[in-house]
Amino acid sequence: MKMLLEPILFSIVAGLFILLIPKRFRKVAEFFSLITSIYLFISAIRIFFVSPINAGYLYVDGLSRFIVLAIGLFGFLVTLYSMRFMSSYKDVSLYYTYIIWTIGASILAAISNNIILLLVSWGFLGFTLYGLINISGPKAASVSKKTFIIIGGSDSLMILGFGLIWLITKSLNLSDMKIDINTPLAFWAFLLIAIGAFAKAGAMPFHTWIPETAQEAPISVTAFLPASLDKLLGIYLLARLALNVFILNSFTYAILMIVGSITIIAAVMMALVQHDFKKLLGYHAVSQVGYMVLGIGTGNPIGIAGGLFHMLNHAIYKCCLFLSAGNVEYKTKTSELDNLGGLSKIMPITFFTTLVASCAISGIPPFNGFFSKWMIYQGLIEKGKSGGVLWIICLVAAMFGSGLTLASFIKLIHAIFLGTPSKDQRTKSREARNEVSWQMWIPAVILSALCIVFGIFAYKIPLRYFIVPALNTGLSFIGTWPSLKATLFLLIGLAIGVIIYFLGNFKGVRVSESYIGGEQIQEDMRLSGTEFYNTIEEIGLLKFIYKKAESGVFDIYEQGKSIVFGIGGFFQYLHNGILPTYLVWTLLGMIGLFLFFLR
Amino acid sequence: MIKYLFNYIIFPGFLFTAVIGLVASWIDRKVTARVQWRIGPPWYQPLMDLVKLSIKEITVPRSASKGLFFLSPMIGLSAITLVSTFIWLINIDPGSKGFSGDIIVIIYLLTLPAIAVILGASASGNPLASLGASREIKLVIAYELPFIISLLVPIIKSGGMLRLGDIIAYQASHGAFLSSLSGIIAFIVMIFCMQAKLGLVPFDMAEAETEIMAGTCIEYSGMLLAILKLTKTMLMVALPLFLITLFWQGFNFLSLWKYVILLVIIILMRNTNPRVRIDQAVRFFWGKMTLMAILAVILAVKGI
Repeated sequence: MKMLLEPILFSIVAGLFILLIPKRFRKVAEFFSLITSIYLFISAIRIFFVSPINAGYLYVDGLSRFIVLAIGLFGFLVTLYSMRFMSSYKDVSLYYTYIIWTIGASILAAISNNIILLLVSWGFLGFTLYGLINISGPKAASVSKKTFIIIGGSDSLMILGFGLIWLITKSLNLSDMKIDINTPLAFWAFLLIAIGAFAKAGAMPFHTWIPETAQEAPISVTAFLPASLDKLLGIYLLARLALNVFILNSFTYAILMIVGSITIIAAVMMALVQHDFKKLLGYHAVSQVGYMVLGIGTGNPIGIAGGLFHMLNHAIYKCCLFLSAGNVEYKTKTSELDNLGGLSKIMPITFFTTLVASCAISGIPPFNGFFSKWMIYQGLIEKGKSGGVLWIICLVAAMFGSGLTLASFIKLIHAIFLGTPSKDQRTKSREARNEVSWQMWIPAVILSALCIVFGIFAYKIPLRYFIVPALNTGLSFIGTWPSLKATLFLLIGLAIGVIIYFLGNFKGVRVSESYIGGEQIQEDMRLSGTEFYNTIEEIGLLKFIYKKAESGVFDIYEQGKSIVFGIGGFFQYLHNGILPTYLVWTLLGMIGLFLFFLR
Repeated sequence: MIKYLFNYIIFPGFLFTAVIGLVASWIDRKVTARVQWRIGPPWYQPLMDLVKLSIKEITVPRSASKGLFFLSPMIGLSAITLVSTFIWLINIDPGSKGFSGDIIVIIYLLTLPAIAVILGASASGNPLASLGASREIKLVIAYELPFIISLLVPIIKSGGMLRLGDIIAYQASHGAFLSSLSGIIAFIVMIFCMQAKLGLVPFDMAEAETEIMAGTCIEYSGMLLAILKLTKTMLMVALPLFLITLFWQGFNFLSLWKYVILLVIIILMRNTNPRVRIDQAVRFFWGKMTLMAILAVILAVKGI
């Protein structure tokens, strides 16, 4: 018990302390927050290794302990990254305070058993998110407001849902609950809490804050919250509801599956046409949530395990992608795909981490993303054995979504790292042409190494220690994807190819100019990659949908805003401030009353 | 381990598939020549081409990202070797080889050669190669949709089986899926997707010699080009084999005629059609082909 509360208390105190450090001692603040994040990471490891505790307010079981571990890891990596990345920002003590508080509150949210405690830490996370987005100054104000309204609004729905739960069970402890969802009250409670989880994780239709946050907030914030911690917590809550708190019926599972499939396809189609890599990654952060929700929505052990595993994998590779993108932005000072190109020679490490993470997110074997997607597909087909046709649509959406993800990452990699450099990049000065400093690439390298290890040794490490203990039912595989063996053979094939190449290469390699049919290559003769999917954008129905999406028709915030302003506008119209109008209204009201009473 | 290594490199993996692929590509060239009133090359010509390429000098463009440029043909080759080993082994011994969910693994591995080509082309830094890469990736997402949907037909018809070996066994006892209407429609869709996966006319816009000068392969030469060609050749074995396994009771060496029939269809299609534009291809696959695939799935659910 003491061990659980210690890191949370420490994070609150440390956050306040960082605020008190004068601005002149910037290095002190940075160093102190790094130490704090290391301490929190170590306590997270310690929490991971304790036996399950149920101490009233708090509890630790298989599900929450690996979430806590992941929170600690990402907290540490992002703090390490921020030390260099935030160097262009003037005031960083507030930033580090928010980061440290976020780690503490997230750990609290993951281990709290009491509903009130969960809600308080959840709400607090909304507040720190608001603060962190605002770090980048006035241009982020409207985005942070939007985020705050969406997150806050869904939080209040969640409070309502938990209120309904209290009405049903008269208990405030999550571990006591086992609610049958077949009553309407329980169904609404589930739906309302699930909206909170969806908004946090970014499933449709509550996703619109993520791409805009990704565009405006500092990239380390995006890598920290929307890409990793918010996913972990949102899906954690959803899994908690599905596994422990409620006994779901097939209708609720169907809702989850539909939400998941729509999220996958719609978000990835939006990602395909983005021109700003931060926004592109933001849309992928939405699309991948679909897989997790879909996995949990299958309702069978392998699907749920796949969903949870995908959550962990997603946090790893998406954090890696955002950090690598941060390196690119730090170096080139732009996030427009059109202005980049050919960076693979200048930033080989960042190129490697991005390539690995892109392969992982696109589900290319043998990386980790493939493994979890494979589990989700199996879960879907397992579901299909009990009949119905929904699973077919979901399976197609999931598999095709994976292809579209691949396509948009090909575009990203081509536009940033490969292809011909843009004019801006060619004219950059010599000293700008090197890799970023080690504090910035180490976190990305660690995460991309995790992508490879979790893919190849999926049974031995993540599934065995993290995922299977989280499901209280246990998990049996019908057959296994021999990840290690397959990787070995891919590597052997590669090695043989290299050997043959060196044996057969008699004449050696000659470097020459690019050949385009005998003509001279002109300055403007380049394909950046952003125009790859123009033909797809132009196809009949899709063109219409893209236009609508541009104008915010599918944005729940915009729609909500227009409804609120519409109602407001009506009353504004009535209250026009002209005395005769009010007199007429009063007169009419009086006539009405007379007619009613003096009939 | 030694046994697996033997399987992977010699039989039925790399060497065996490559030999069959070379024979198939000779048949392709011979039939094409006959269609065009030429005599055609001798039987060893495809091999000679590879040998000739592999002793030629390799050039690398100055703008290339060299590591990826060199590695990507080999990634493609080792992926196609792995997947053809899988498919052959399962066909030889459907009872014990394979694992649950191996169909999905094969689908993903089959896209790896295309990805390798795209990455290699992008790494060359040549604008025409980029153009080819953009066409190739658009083609990939275009054919992937009907391919996945029609893949569901065997899964639905066999009652949710995800092991290729189980699907062969199911067909052995219940008859080939190709004998049902839904099976036929899905098979036709698959054949079109196969043509696009192989990058043959009418879907060869990524390489289009006459307009973008071999597009994705423009900067490749010597050994690396030989590896790329060999990958394509092996794909010409693995893909028809995968289709036969899914719809046509699997493959054994007595039923070589099934493979020959598919090969002839491929060859005739490439000889009688002009190249389409990429947007036409996307419309074709997302329109007609997807509708047909959906129809096949509906029929399969109804049990027809």
